Amino acid sequence: MPERKARPARKTGASAPRPKTTTGKPHEALGEKVGVYVCHCGGNISDVVDVDSVATEAEKMPGVAVARHVMFMCSDEGQKTIVEDIEKLGLDRVVVAACTPKLHEATFRRAVIRGGMNPYLFWPANIREQASWAHPHSPRAATEKATALIRAAVAKSRLLEPLDMVRVAAVHRALVIGGGVAGLRAALDLARQGMGVTLVEGSPFLGGRSVQLHTVFPTEEEARPLVHGLIDRVKAEPNVTVLTNTEVVAVKGYVGDFKATVRTTPRGVSEELADPAAAIAACPVKVASEFDGGLGERRAIYQPYPGSEPDLPAIDWTACTRCGDCVAAGGGKGIDLQGKPRETEVEAGAIVVATGFDHYEPRQGEYGYGQSPRVLTLPQVHRLLDPQGPTGGRLEIEGRVPRAIAFIHCVGSRQIDGVDEPGPDGKLHEYCSRVCCTATLQAANEIRTRYPKTAVYDLYRDIRTYGRDQEQYYVDASKRGVVFLRFTSETRPSVEVAPETAREGNLPLRVKVTDTLTFGAEMEVPVDLVVLSVGVQPRDVAGLIDMTKAPVGSDGFLLEVHPKLRPVESAIPGLLLAGAAQAPMDITEATSAASAAAAKVTNLLARDHVEMEPFVARVNPSLCDGCGDCVEACHYAGAIALQDIEVEEGVIEKRAYVNPVACKGCGACVPACPTAAIDVAGWEIEQYRAMIDAITAVPLTAGAAK
Amino acid sequence: MEAVDRKLTTDILVVGAGIAGLQAALDLADRGYSVLVVDRQPSIGGKMIALSKVFPTMDCSSCITTPRMSAVAHHDSITTWTYTEVDRIEPDGDGFRAHLTRKARYVDEDLCIGCRLCEYACPVELPHEFEGNMGARRAAYVPFGTAIPQTALIDIEACVYCGKCEKACPTDAIVWDQQPLGVELRARAVVLATGYQTTALDAKKEYSGGKAANVIGGLDMERLLAPNGPYGRVLRPSDGKIPDNVAYVQCAGSRDESLGVPYCSRVCCMYAIKQAMLLSGALPLADITVYYMDIRAFGKGYEQFFQTARSMGIVFVKAKVARIDEEPNGDLRLRVEMIEEDGRVAEPVHDLVVLSVGLKPGDDPRRFVGVDLDEYGFVASPQAKLDTTLTSLPGVVAAGAAIGPKDIVDSIVEASAAATKVAMRLGPPAVSPAPPDDGLDVEVSNIDAGEAVAIAGPAEVQHA
Amino acid sequence: MAVQPAGEQSTRMLIIATLLCSYPGIDATGQAHMEYPPNTFVIPTPDPVVFPESFYLYCFEKGVDGILIASCGTDSPYEGSYEQLAARINNVYAAMKERGISIRRLKLTAICSVCTKAFLKEVAEMEAVLAELGPVEGEMKAAVA
Repeated sequence: MPERKARPARKTGASAPRPKTTTGKPHEALGEKVGVYVCHCGGNISDVVDVDSVATEAEKMPGVAVARHVMFMCSDEGQKTIVEDIEKLGLDRVVVAACTPKLHEATFRRAVIRGGMNPYLFWPANIREQASWAHPHSPRAATEKATALIRAAVAKSRLLEPLDMVRVAAVHRALVIGGGVAGLRAALDLARQGMGVTLVEGSPFLGGRSVQLHTVFPTEEEARPLVHGLIDRVKAEPNVTVLTNTEVVAVKGYVGDFKATVRTTPRGVSEELADPAAAIAACPVKVASEFDGGLGERRAIYQPYPGSEPDLPAIDWTACTRCGDCVAAGGGKGIDLQGKPRETEVEAGAIVVATGFDHYEPRQGEYGYGQSPRVLTLPQVHRLLDPQGPTGGRLEIEGRVPRAIAFIHCVGSRQIDGVDEPGPDGKLHEYCSRVCCTATLQAANEIRTRYPKTAVYDLYRDIRTYGRDQEQYYVDASKRGVVFLRFTSETRPSVEVAPETAREGNLPLRVKVTDTLTFGAEMEVPVDLVVLSVGVQPRDVAGLIDMTKAPVGSDGFLLEVHPKLRPVESAIPGLLLAGAAQAPMDITEATSAASAAAAKVTNLLARDHVEMEPFVARVNPSLCDGCGDCVEACHYAGAIALQDIEVEEGVIEKRAYVNPVACKGCGACVPACPTAAIDVAGWEIEQYRAMIDAITAVPLTAGAAK
Repeated sequence: MEAVDRKLTTDILVVGAGIAGLQAALDLADRGYSVLVVDRQPSIGGKMIALSKVFPTMDCSSCITTPRMSAVAHHDSITTWTYTEVDRIEPDGDGFRAHLTRKARYVDEDLCIGCRLCEYACPVELPHEFEGNMGARRAAYVPFGTAIPQTALIDIEACVYCGKCEKACPTDAIVWDQQPLGVELRARAVVLATGYQTTALDAKKEYSGGKAANVIGGLDMERLLAPNGPYGRVLRPSDGKIPDNVAYVQCAGSRDESLGVPYCSRVCCMYAIKQAMLLSGALPLADITVYYMDIRAFGKGYEQFFQTARSMGIVFVKAKVARIDEEPNGDLRLRVEMIEEDGRVAEPVHDLVVLSVGLKPGDDPRRFVGVDLDEYGFVASPQAKLDTTLTSLPGVVAAGAAIGPKDIVDSIVEASAAATKVAMRLGPPAVSPAPPDDGLDVEVSNIDAGEAVAIAGPAEVQHA
Repeated sequence: MAVQPAGEQSTRMLIIATLLCSYPGIDATGQAHMEYPPNTFVIPTPDPVVFPESFYLYCFEKGVDGILIASCGTDSPYEGSYEQLAARINNVYAAMKERGISIRRLKLTAICSVCTKAFLKEVAEMEAVLAELGPVEGEMKAAVA
């Protein structure tokens, strides 16, 4: 055999597959001394199955060193028998024929370990649920069946190899992507458990969407102090590195050992800036403020609110002309217009995606949006109501408080084919955005309280104030005189921008709706402000999705492994989902999801290794011809790939390689391989064939049903 | 009679073994803490094990619950005590002292192999609460087919002391003089996962719940729809007729000041839609009507689920049902205002009515621990927005329906969040969890027994 | 569900059961003491997608007379496996036809972890097929490659 160069070391303890025969011929057994234990189960088995004769038959089976029948295998006594026999008789495989392995497989594996044997050399036979209990009136047939099932278990056990858990060395650091409430919560929870955290936030400021709010429902706390409390606690953690203005540009590796490249764009401003306000005022560039939903303006050098985190302006390089007016105005120091982005590598054992959401942007003309300054979205109205907003908290349009406001629910959500138009991305948003009903009624209540002369109409389909203390907003709104009008799934209100009515009474918008609460009456509601309760949509993180292969659902949100049971885990091991990147949710729900993701991360990484069951696919490189059919058959990104291998001196060829950490062990690759080069450890085709041989070895006794 | 027989310690005490309790226990045990899970029922699994299918995936509920139950039962770091009450939990230094009572099953859990021979021998039959009282059980019984532990118990109130169970038992597991066992326990942290109970079927007198036989509750219908339910099919209780005109009455225990439940119970729209869809599969010819106030299909995939139900021909009528009266043949006459039509008052007749009952706290934790509750009895958090699983008592966290009506997915999220809160407080576990093939076994006992243990080590939950 | 009448056990049915779904379902059937014929042999697997066509043919060659694949159906925890499995079974049917083996001897179905009645029904249906067709030996034309 020519000398080979060493291959890259696999970070796994799984043994390399042994050479196999081609299809058909049974392989040489590995186990030579099988111990077989047949349980009476206190009569539950032995009342129907003749356990004595079964044990006698078992002892005659090839490879069996000892066969016993025992009253209760699961008892301490029964388990001790296994341990002693392994030690004294040198058993190399163990079969227990008893109740369903769902009950005691773990018990017997542990007993086998105590005897000094590898736990994966144990195999069960189910002769209670599948024999005595299912065929109580056919004792002879049940006995024959039990014997056949044991013969099959013995045959399989003889082909089992010792296996080790798949282990990956775990880096004790998490990469959290997103600096909104979910990312902050995850970072804090992880750091407080001793985990290192790198938190990257794409924008120059932490806090995400929550800091654009004034108060939060249902507690009516002020949003920014609440979120800043969380931010302060994160900053106080020595284990957390926070990088703002930073994006992830590459991700390599797998759970336990991810390597991410992040790119930090320079802020352009440092603590040395003496007079930030003057620097900002001096900037000649004005752009719409995204923080204020486009209602206000900001400069190219800007800070969304005093006390932001960091409490420093930042420069928007796409707007900045590098004129330098800010430098002198600011005191001459602390502004650097020449900085370049820098890239760093972050090593992490796990990644938490907390990239949040965007608001739905209505189409031009949708309910009059973009055709009148009097059609706004709810996030925009939040900014107007905010004392730190563009109007100092005064709800004024064109200088006047509106006299009548109409809220329209479900804009950009619960869309129906044929009724709503798809968005610019061509998709319909069929989902409910969950938070808007409560947010709308919160705003409606605030407006009715602060502006009692302003009429408020609420046009809705269903009021979804489902959560704790949320129903109260609906009750209060009703008590405060909000008028509710209801449209159906198939109809929509319409908004006419009708300036001629402005002459009549200064209510330039007319909202029309078929109102089901008044039995289908066609209502016309003159208003001077229409507020669209826009839904949420997943933020565009296509690049990140591409890099990580994170699955995305048909609704565009990141997809969890199982919608009921595993809501914060993605199909990629080590990639967790926290917050609105996964589904619409409110602040409380997002922080709970973040804390839950933190639990998953610490459980993965807290020990030195990430451990997984060894039932993963393995390739025999001497049979593999690098055709790649297995890669095609596999549905799990990164589980199988073709790698260049030096098969002999100077000869490089492609061979399939299984990443045991990413492989789920489903076996879809196995039948795809034309040379039978791939198999699932512990569940190998030849083992199944051996069971078939065993089951069919003895002819059935005619008339056995007695 | 409160003989204190054992003095034990554990890292975390989890009160309640429904899905939230199970999830919290698994997260904490996987982390390496020792966990004791207790539940007053004779089996773990909470309400979820009794459901038919779950929304919106339509997974078989049992299929997704039993693996969690099994994982808890088999976990090296978790000990599970069913049929156990929590009497009190008091702060003690930086941890807690808890007093629990392990109720008498009259069966030795270590000897019982779950064979049910006692059940088959027992002559006493009574309505089975698990089956919504629509099926029967015996006085000596194993709680249900998928129960963990699969261990029998005797309902001593119903027992006639005939001794047939004792004769039938192959392991001599019946213990007539078994006493409740008082246990004093030290725990470093507590998770309250006491879940929910439904509002009473007869809460709203106008709905004839509890009087009309064919007015049933949401959980009752779950059992009728479950593959292993009391009848194996959907039949109406009064006469066994297969219904062909079923009505769902939403908000039959919520959003109703007159019942003292002004809040929304969050799950009833979805469970009604789910059941309606299952019914259209089970009874393809049946008409199914859902009378609702608002359809609250707010979660991931929920709205699409609702629209699918509409397209399947399930009729949704916006109407608050005013009253339900029983007809002589068992049918029900509803009284509703047809808001979406012309506003007339109609009196549709249905042959089976399901009241979508609401959710109330499963227990009053203040019975045993000093945490603040809200006005409806749900556990309150001092940081409701950013840390909903905390309670007013540091070291005690809560999750799931105990802190408010909640569906399964949100309960699971909160349970993991609660686990994180506990881990943040306790610091890393004392013993790093050993890799399983080190041969390390029950010597690393997580329950520090004072004397010889009748309760086996953590891995040995007996259920044959 | 009526108990199968006592009679000649001349055929053998293989039941391929999944760890997550049908294996527990078959356990539940036994737990409930629901009877079905004893000529049934369960082989557990994480997912039946693992079996190549040749495996099924091997079974028939060795004397398995009927195969019931009790899969998880669309509840399969493995991405895409059910569709792949269904496609492969179609290939197996083609191969069976070539060899003169009745395709009624192989059935793909979905059994969940509490689907006891569904399981009994599937077994009864396959038993009826086997009673009608007899042992597969009579049909085998060619050896498995």
